[in-house]
Amino acid sequence: MAYSDKVIDHYNNPRNVGQLDKSSSEVGTGLVGAPECGDVMRLQIKVNPETQVIEEAKFKTFGCGSAIASSSLATEWVKGKTVSEAMEIKNTDIVKELALPPVKIHCSVLAEDAIRAAIGDWKKKNGVAEGAAAPQAVAAQ
Amino acid sequence: MQIAEQQSVKTACWSCGADVSGPLCAACGKVQPATEQDYFAVFSLPRRLSLDTKVLEREFYRLSRRLHPDLYARTSELEQQWSTEQTSLVNDAYRALKDPIARTEYLLKLEGMAIGEETTGKKQQPPADLLEEVFELNMQLEEMRMGGDDPQLRSDLENAKKQFEAQLAQADADLAALWAKWDGALAEGDLTAQMASKEEMLALLDRRRYVRNLVRDVNAALDGQSGDAPTP
Ligand code: FES
Ligand SMILES: [Zn+2]
Repeated sequence: MAYSDKVIDHYNNPRNVGQLDKSSSEVGTGLVGAPECGDVMRLQIKVNPETQVIEEAKFKTFGCGSAIASSSLATEWVKGKTVSEAMEIKNTDIVKELALPPVKIHCSVLAEDAIRAAIGDWKKKNGVAEGAAAPQAVAAQ
Repeated sequence: MQIAEQQSVKTACWSCGADVSGPLCAACGKVQPATEQDYFAVFSLPRRLSLDTKVLEREFYRLSRRLHPDLYARTSELEQQWSTEQTSLVNDAYRALKDPIARTEYLLKLEGMAIGEETTGKKQQPPADLLEEVFELNMQLEEMRMGGDDPQLRSDLENAKKQFEAQLAQADADLAALWAKWDGALAEGDLTAQMASKEEMLALLDRRRYVRNLVRDVNAALDGQSGDAPTP
């Protein structure tokens, strides 16, 4: 089984590897794992408190090439989206874009879980109920 | 009573009519059609997890000899076909049961637990503190790997290796304890305890996979290779 060109591209030139300040109220952190293989992924977003737009995204993945590519792609996709738009990203979109074979679907699920976990963390920090759209006024220092 | 029924699916031998379980009839020795038997039944074993692999091996060789194609050269075409099918079933069963982890995973699957399956549905995430720990350890490992010529590097890696291997050994010991719990619950027909031990085993195997990866990665780092070369 061969990797698709897109997976190889993201694997060789991963976008947005790194980390954001976990303690900042504008940053949401999602740390997830795939029990079937033991891979772990951290994805972080930085959200503009006024516009709800995700301005920055970083990831760090210890896992297979498909997991690295999925998380790299996920950070590209969430950037510039609002939090609620980012919630719409589905693992199946990632599968399609990267042409992942069936045995690698769980790698894309991991990336979707990571986006949701990061948004969930950001919402919790900012007192937004899960599922609610937006915090009204998050006091910006 | 209930256990006996659960464990032995008996059918009648096509040739002599005796009760058979396993690939061959104990009464007349004829090969039986390969049915959808579970791997424990192939070896006429109850679904116990603590099993003597020496005995298993002996039984595997005995069955393999008895199913050898040479012995079926002059039998009916149907029996030839059955012997080939039984041979591959016996091989699969042996491979799955001889390895402790594969055996546990097989039993859990057999007992209706979703394990290692490709799903797109939401899965339960492992406990947060476990993920934090694994992630941290991976970060440290990566830092060590990047350490280049740092003389400290090798001893740090050796220490990490010891630590991870100890964790893996602990996980295996915990698993053995859960086997005993399962076997006991099975013998007593205690369905609640069976369910509880299955769930504990599932969680433990999940945890073990992360630790196993750490051991693999630290060994790769010590070998001077990159631990996360892409594996499709
Ligand atoms: S193999 Fe598990 S995340 Fe890719
Ligand atoms: Zn018979």
